[in-house]
Amino acid sequence: MMVKLKSLQMIGLTGMSLALVISGCSTNKPANTAPASAAPAASASAAATKAPEPAKSGEKVTVNFWTPFSGNDGPFMKKIVDKYNASQDKYTVKMTIQPNGDYYKLLDTAIATKKGVPDVAIMHLDQTPTYIAKDLLTPLDDIAKAAGVEKSNFPDATVDYATKDGKWYSIPLDIHPLVLYYNKDLFAAAGITKPPTNREEFVEDAKKLTDSSKGIWGAAMPTFWIQNFLFPTILFQNGGSFLDDKGNIAYNSPAGVEAVTFMRSLTTMKVSPPTIAQDGDFNLFQQGKSAMHFNGPWSKDAFDKAKINYGVAPVPQLGTVKQAVFAGSHNFVIPKSTTDAKVLAGVGDFLKYVSANSIDWADSGQAVASKVVRDSAAFKAMTQQQTEVAKEFDYVQFAPKVLNWGPISDSIWSELANALQGKKDPKQALDDAAAKSTQAMKK
Amino acid sequence: MSTMSNWKSKLTSSLFILPYFLAFLAFTLIPIVYGFIISFKQYNLLDPVHPFVGLGNYKSIFTEGTQENDLFFIGMKATLKFVVFSVPFLVIVGLGFALLLNALPAKLRSFFRSIYFIPYAVSATVMAVIWKRMFDVTGGFINLLLAKVGIHEFDPIPWLLDSPFVWFALVVATLWWTIGFNMIIFVNALNGVPEDLYEAAKIDGASGWNRLISITLPSIRPVIVFVLITSTIASYNIFAQPNLMSNAGDETKVLLMGILQTAYTAREIGSASAMAILMGLTIMIASIIQFMITNRKE
Repeated sequence: MMVKLKSLQMIGLTGMSLALVISGCSTNKPANTAPASAAPAASASAAATKAPEPAKSGEKVTVNFWTPFSGNDGPFMKKIVDKYNASQDKYTVKMTIQPNGDYYKLLDTAIATKKGVPDVAIMHLDQTPTYIAKDLLTPLDDIAKAAGVEKSNFPDATVDYATKDGKWYSIPLDIHPLVLYYNKDLFAAAGITKPPTNREEFVEDAKKLTDSSKGIWGAAMPTFWIQNFLFPTILFQNGGSFLDDKGNIAYNSPAGVEAVTFMRSLTTMKVSPPTIAQDGDFNLFQQGKSAMHFNGPWSKDAFDKAKINYGVAPVPQLGTVKQAVFAGSHNFVIPKSTTDAKVLAGVGDFLKYVSANSIDWADSGQAVASKVVRDSAAFKAMTQQQTEVAKEFDYVQFAPKVLNWGPISDSIWSELANALQGKKDPKQALDDAAAKSTQAMKK
Repeated sequence: MSTMSNWKSKLTSSLFILPYFLAFLAFTLIPIVYGFIISFKQYNLLDPVHPFVGLGNYKSIFTEGTQENDLFFIGMKATLKFVVFSVPFLVIVGLGFALLLNALPAKLRSFFRSIYFIPYAVSATVMAVIWKRMFDVTGGFINLLLAKVGIHEFDPIPWLLDSPFVWFALVVATLWWTIGFNMIIFVNALNGVPEDLYEAAKIDGASGWNRLISITLPSIRPVIVFVLITSTIASYNIFAQPNLMSNAGDETKVLLMGILQTAYTAREIGSASAMAILMGLTIMIASIIQFMITNRKE
């Protein structure tokens, strides 16, 4: 009996340690601070009920606000909240930063136990369909109207995504599409004057930039993380999609296979190393040993610190059909459990403030969703990155709008790695992944 | 009078176990019973109601083509592989270190005992970060070292990425991390072997090897069985090493990773509980069998 008890106990213990681990790793692994990935497998934790206590101060209304910004982006959001609290004396927004890797587990537990649910929270756009389908979010139309937050202030793609049955459920803070980082010094040394814009230029540049005598690769291609952004980008550019019109898994289409075959061909062309481990592509770029690198806007900070002379450009059209880019997006949502009219008014007031004053968020390297802010002189004067990122807003695409996209897409990434490492035929790998995705969909 | 003091001493001893008993109740027994109940429900974390589905969750684990079936058996295969690869080393290397330690002069002994035991006190995260750097494919210490001496210079070994290398890396990291514990247990067992047995054997002209086989091993037999079983259980609960270090896909996707994925990515706590209960049952049965086989001769 002891044995069984012990083994079950271990599940809880290991869960706890995972929680520690995920948050602990985020300093040396920028991938972990990256948003928009499927909710990572996380763990049982007693911390779940540790919610902010309600305010006791007389007249001021406290608004509890949860964010997953446990990485470098936390201070930027804190600055916005602090400024808001100082700007008026009716509401106090109390921000709680939850560990990024555990965010949805903590949120789910709070919702399930009905204890300490935030009044307003940040949610990744691709998570919203699940919470909307489970009837856990409040439509924002009335609150937005009362506060004067306009739908037209945000890119259509995000508003459409967050609308169900004519109701609007989330207000975007930013959109974070995949971008191309390139090493300006290596480009200059190879005599290339501008970043590539299509597949031919990309391959040609990569060949020119590769210098095996110095151990420099043209474009070290990822096999694990950031493929969550890169594979969909090329899939969409090839005219493919994750799901077909009937909602069945469709990424194992010829468009998907072509995308994988192309990425794999960069290895056989010897412009990308034969073996790339997790974050290997990121490390090589950071060390100045890879000339081109795909990542999200949130990587800016890491490359600034590494003191590389880098540039940012929209992802070239690597696919054969059209320009497209996969993106994630941070959004504000209001859980159904927020019912107090005073608190709701406070949330509305705060959201209005953010949509007009999110310039501090852009400092983190993100391109903000609010048009008002993007059109401001302050944004236009920002370094190249934010404005280049914003260029991609016209053709961004998000994850499919379905229930449980996280678990459904989970099988793609390990099979994709098999194909990119040459362990499996691309078609076979995608078919195997699709079979698992279909299984997960049956839930 | 004597019944009175008897009653009192019983009360006192009960009070002594009370703290443990309460903790056991709160953190072990109740969660297990609750987990058992949940395993009969379709328990999605975000749903307001959790309908009773009887053995439904268990059935779907054994139904081919379901996600639970996949995760459970992929996980079981990876976990068993790790048990088979790691347990022999955990026992033999632990015993080896203990013998080496006992051969040292008494003054050095406690110093080296601490040194070997220190990694055991290190957290899983630290262990994983250290060994990930050692085994990293591009820029890892071991591959750099190999490249320096001209082995696999342009074709780095995919430690952490591919079988069989990934198992080697995981077993090495596990040994480094946990061997101190087994070693300490063996050291204590060796100290309990009566010295006069060795002296008698020496006089009879028995070699060191003979003394190990005929005196040491039979004397510490119960401890070997204990270490064997605890090591098997510990290896069966493998989680941190593959979760944090390896990227070998299904090859190292152990049972606990599958259970966690079911519980918190798919949010299906009911199915996850059923998988956890089955996992607990299997290790219990395995340990009983192990105990019976190793204890048969007595």
